[in-house]
Amino acid sequence: MEVVIASSPVDAGIGCWDLHSGAEQLRYRSCTSTPHGLACVGQRFLASSQLRDSSSSSGSILYWSWSKPQVEVKSFPAEPIHPLVSNSDGMYIIGGGSSGAIYFWEVASGRLLKRWHAHYRAVTCLFLSDDESLLVSGAEDGCIRVWSLFMVFDDIGMEMAKNPYEYSFSEHTLRVTDMVSGYGGCNAIIVSASEDRTCKVWSLSRGKLLRSIDFPSIIEAVALDPGEHVFYAGARDGKIYIASINAETTSSNSYGKHIIGTLSDNSKGVTCLAFSKDGILLVSGSEDGTIRVWDAKTHNIVRIYRLAKGPVNNVLVVRRPLYSNRQTSENSHSSFSRRHAPLLPPPLGKYVNSTDENVDSGAVSVPQTPSSDIMDAPYLSYHVLTKQISELQVFFIFLS
Amino acid sequence: MARSKPSSSKKQPKRGVDFKKIKRKIGRKLPPPKNATNTEIKSKAIILPEQSVASERAGLAVSKKGLTLKELLQQTSHHNAKVRRDALTGIRDLVLKYPAELTLHKLAIIEKLRERISDEDKVVRETLYQLLKLVIFPALKKDVPGSLISLMMAYIFNGMTHLATDIRLMAFKFFDLVVQHYPSSFFMYAEKVLQNYEDILRKNHIYLQDRSKLKNALVGLVRCLSLLPCNRRTVDPSYGKNTETQGSLHAYELEVPKEHTDFSSIIKRLEDILPILVNCFQDFIPLVHPMSSLDAQSFDCMLYLLRSIDLSVKFFLYGIDKHQTDFGVTKPTYNEKDMPVWGEIATPVFLRKFLEVFPLNQLHNTSGKDEDKFFILNIEITEIFLHSNEWIFTSAILMERFLEFIENLLSGKIRFNSRSGKALQEKHLTSLLPFIPRLVSLVANTWKSRLLQAFTMAFKDCKPESTLNLAFLSAIEEMLLPSKRQGILLLDASEPEILDHQITWIRELPVLLVRLGDTLSSLSKVILHLLLRLGQYAPMNSSLAWEYDIMQHTLGEFYSMCLDDGSILYGPFMKLPKDCQELSVCCLYYFSSLDSLLLRSLVYCCLCDNLEPSVLFRIIDVLHSAYKIGHLQLVDLISFFVTLVARWKVLPGRLYTHVENAKKISNRETFKAITGAVCSCLRQMGDDALIFQIVQRVILDEIPLNPPIDNLCGMLRLLVILDSRPTKLSEQSIIILSNSISEYLIDAASYIPENGDEVTDSNQISICQYYLVPCFFLFDRSDKLLNLVLDLMGSSIGEDNSSLACNHDTQHTLDLSSRIVAVVSILLYMHQDIKIRRRLSSCKGEITRILQKMRLQSSNEMGNTLEERHKIQFSFDRLKIAAGQLNCWDADELKIISLFE
Repeated sequence: MEVVIASSPVDAGIGCWDLHSGAEQLRYRSCTSTPHGLACVGQRFLASSQLRDSSSSSGSILYWSWSKPQVEVKSFPAEPIHPLVSNSDGMYIIGGGSSGAIYFWEVASGRLLKRWHAHYRAVTCLFLSDDESLLVSGAEDGCIRVWSLFMVFDDIGMEMAKNPYEYSFSEHTLRVTDMVSGYGGCNAIIVSASEDRTCKVWSLSRGKLLRSIDFPSIIEAVALDPGEHVFYAGARDGKIYIASINAETTSSNSYGKHIIGTLSDNSKGVTCLAFSKDGILLVSGSEDGTIRVWDAKTHNIVRIYRLAKGPVNNVLVVRRPLYSNRQTSENSHSSFSRRHAPLLPPPLGKYVNSTDENVDSGAVSVPQTPSSDIMDAPYLSYHVLTKQISELQVFFIFLS
Repeated sequence: MARSKPSSSKKQPKRGVDFKKIKRKIGRKLPPPKNATNTEIKSKAIILPEQSVASERAGLAVSKKGLTLKELLQQTSHHNAKVRRDALTGIRDLVLKYPAELTLHKLAIIEKLRERISDEDKVVRETLYQLLKLVIFPALKKDVPGSLISLMMAYIFNGMTHLATDIRLMAFKFFDLVVQHYPSSFFMYAEKVLQNYEDILRKNHIYLQDRSKLKNALVGLVRCLSLLPCNRRTVDPSYGKNTETQGSLHAYELEVPKEHTDFSSIIKRLEDILPILVNCFQDFIPLVHPMSSLDAQSFDCMLYLLRSIDLSVKFFLYGIDKHQTDFGVTKPTYNEKDMPVWGEIATPVFLRKFLEVFPLNQLHNTSGKDEDKFFILNIEITEIFLHSNEWIFTSAILMERFLEFIENLLSGKIRFNSRSGKALQEKHLTSLLPFIPRLVSLVANTWKSRLLQAFTMAFKDCKPESTLNLAFLSAIEEMLLPSKRQGILLLDASEPEILDHQITWIRELPVLLVRLGDTLSSLSKVILHLLLRLGQYAPMNSSLAWEYDIMQHTLGEFYSMCLDDGSILYGPFMKLPKDCQELSVCCLYYFSSLDSLLLRSLVYCCLCDNLEPSVLFRIIDVLHSAYKIGHLQLVDLISFFVTLVARWKVLPGRLYTHVENAKKISNRETFKAITGAVCSCLRQMGDDALIFQIVQRVILDEIPLNPPIDNLCGMLRLLVILDSRPTKLSEQSIIILSNSISEYLIDAASYIPENGDEVTDSNQISICQYYLVPCFFLFDRSDKLLNLVLDLMGSSIGEDNSSLACNHDTQHTLDLSSRIVAVVSILLYMHQDIKIRRRLSSCKGEITRILQKMRLQSSNEMGNTLEERHKIQFSFDRLKIAAGQLNCWDADELKIISLFE
């Protein structure tokens, strides 16, 4: 089941909706997330870094399991964590701190495997390349750095190398607001948005700036079309601009060079964007607390969800395992469900343990996949295929 | 018949003689026989304008002497030197006159001319040189096939190995010319050319006598070597480079292989040449020591020799650096295996020996001119030293000498004596400055402080318009910030002395910026970029970051300054180009707490008409972002916004006169956009109630200043955006607001389209709505405000009535009548709005009072003309009808009103 999850900096919980039917699912309570601070760890549970008062020195990261609205695990890292990202199978959680450090945790044990100084200012966004070998981080000072995870754990190699990072791009003059990468691992392009009103396209393979596009307003979020023909840039003026990557740009139109159109709903500023897996539905979160689902092909709004009065600052489209559904329906068999409830991992560690745990640090504990997941996930491919074939036939008949 | 007879009889006697004997006298000319053929030939002179051969060349290009190109080319190989020379000048004339000839016959021309490269006659060679230099190469600049060059090169090489030294040296000069115009040709022939250079330099003692020739050859060598790749340590601000405007990023790129040149052979040659150059230079040294002054020629030779050494050393360093670069950072231009790791054993030895000669002017020559020369040579040697520093282990004593020299140079203890010295010194200093950061990071502590001291002094003394500043700034950037390539700090800022210097530099930057004004925007851009980098990279809570924060006090002057008499002096910010303005605005973001003084000088800039709106919006954006990360106080930001809205000058101009006042309209549109931007910022700030309280307070401070209608409208919009229903306005502020709103409404009424004429100008309606809608929102939310405003409107009508007695100003009465009309049209307009109509119905008392006042006015004969009274009467009727529609008057009250009539 593909669901949209969204959170807000004001306490409105994490909203969860079925992307296709539009039905609202469970709402997970007491979450005031930071921008880019919501992650779904390996489809097993939700994690979010929390906004804290500036007075408190430690940060906080909360876990929710799919089936319960309450916070299940609380961890308190050494400093406030802003962006949070996890790899696809949910083995690691990576967070960016307000001092510019990046934290690397192992989920299953909660150990802090690595912490390193990545930036001079607070980290604002993080993402992993699609092959999960590179980590890209953006910071408040406009700096974007590309890290090889392989290198990060190679202490000797780090000392040998001139710079710990692969690339450092410093062309942005103000805070980096969002970044997104294309396909192709280390050969991909990345698109970054900044408060200096530009979006820049970089090449990871060549390590250089390919294009810089000026927008009429500050861009808060970017999303890349799966075909990498265009990217969508959600602006603070409420419009979602469409900028071309692959088309030859003709004369500059009313918005500026390379910008070919907008999606607009006269809303307040757009704060976050996400694409569904099929690459057709674009989900945008707005300053006014609503989440809009657009059809990127027709540029129409398909659906509007309402999260809170305050702004939305995170939107994700994730696949949610089906077992949790059944669990809610079978709540009566409490003993049964408790046994089946996926246990959440322990809280995240605060410091890197330098104690002699070398013996077991060699092995990485793999999270157990709940067995019910496999049983309940039905294979639909045959039905889907036959259905599509019949649809195509109808289509051809219609054409002829 | 009878007649024939006599005739026959006459003939008869003659018949006897068959042939008459003719006697001829000797010596007498016979008459010509009758049947003689006239063999006489007659001829006439034909006058031709030209010689017969010349007629063929009509339409052909000829030189001044009437020779065609073909003839001229033939003549170039004439045995007489003079003819050859004339032929060359002829070609020159011809080509200058008919440029097409050259492009058509370039191959033929070059083919013939190249033979003259090794001409025995000096003058001919010289003429050829001039011909090639001034005419042929510039003309062929665009299309020169490689074949042409190779045609030339064959003969040039021939000349280079000629027995006659003159020809030999001249050949180098020719080669220099070719390289000058077609630099790529060097790499094609590099090996051979360098070999030839090597030969000629090896025998330098032969040519030592004729130094001007040697100098020419060396110029060529310097030029060739400067084409070799080297690490560019020069000042080149890499920022601001525009990214290629490629249409499609994923498109297939045709990768043109770069010209592959075999550097390994060049390296081998250079390895041979370098010792020879050093030897050659050392041959000159004896000339230096005697008291006799150094002549210009040998000085030049020495200079060029040093340059060549410098360039080859740089090239080797480049090779070594390339060898060490990591993968992917920069693609090596040649294969790694081609690159022998060079010069670890042999070469530095002689270089070290060479560097030993270093201070050349130990003898302290008396003449100033010579000192300058030595000075230049010393600088060149220093440069070589600094280049090679990275891989030669130098002795401490030598190091000391160099460091002392550099220190003296920086502090200006050594100076040029001649007039042009200043410029020269700057030029040389520019070449040395890029080395300072590395040097400082490597040398021992005592020298570190001495060098830094000298550097700081020199930087402070540097005039703002000097070209040196660029070099200083890049050196400072390198010493302040972690370098771009390595990401590590060169200097340890924890040492107090270094920190002191760093702080001095930082403090100097804004001063320099202000002193520069808008004279050198490129330099200002570099400074601003440095400031931005400093703000970005200064470690948090370090003394550098602290210093950056302090800088905002001096930076205020860069934006604007409020003088004692209240006038505003705009700083350089206003005049700089847009990219500099944007940079300086970005710098604001990184101050950890923005000072309200700086904000004030910023707001003066924003209020200036000359500021481009786009920059203004950037300022709003950046300040808002700075607030978001806690670099700006909420109260400061709000007062900045409100001041902006309250004081921004909207040029007065009625909208319907837009034909002539296009600019004024755009101005109002800009103001609307500013208000919109401010509103959206305010709404994003979070707690609406708190922000509303602050905004309300600031606005109430501004309102008594009687802002123009547009600004008041903007402020009301801010209030409306943040307010909710029912209103959060306090009692006191409602009272203050009602005062200004009633005036405001009467002003705004002039924009309400007349009901009578149907000319509904859409523009005018929209502006009218723009003005009135915020008021309607306020009325909708607060009944009390509406009551008060209506009250005030009513009393304003009456008030004039009372003052009429004492004030017989006709203007005033005119005001009164139009005021009444205005009030009525406002009320009618409000009446049209359904929501407000509901509200209006609850304040019938006020409306009745207004009606009464009007009644009174219309009946007041005194001072009112007939026309005015008619107007008032007409308005009264309209209002009465509207009031009747409100359904709020019961029968009694209606009667009372009718009683007035």
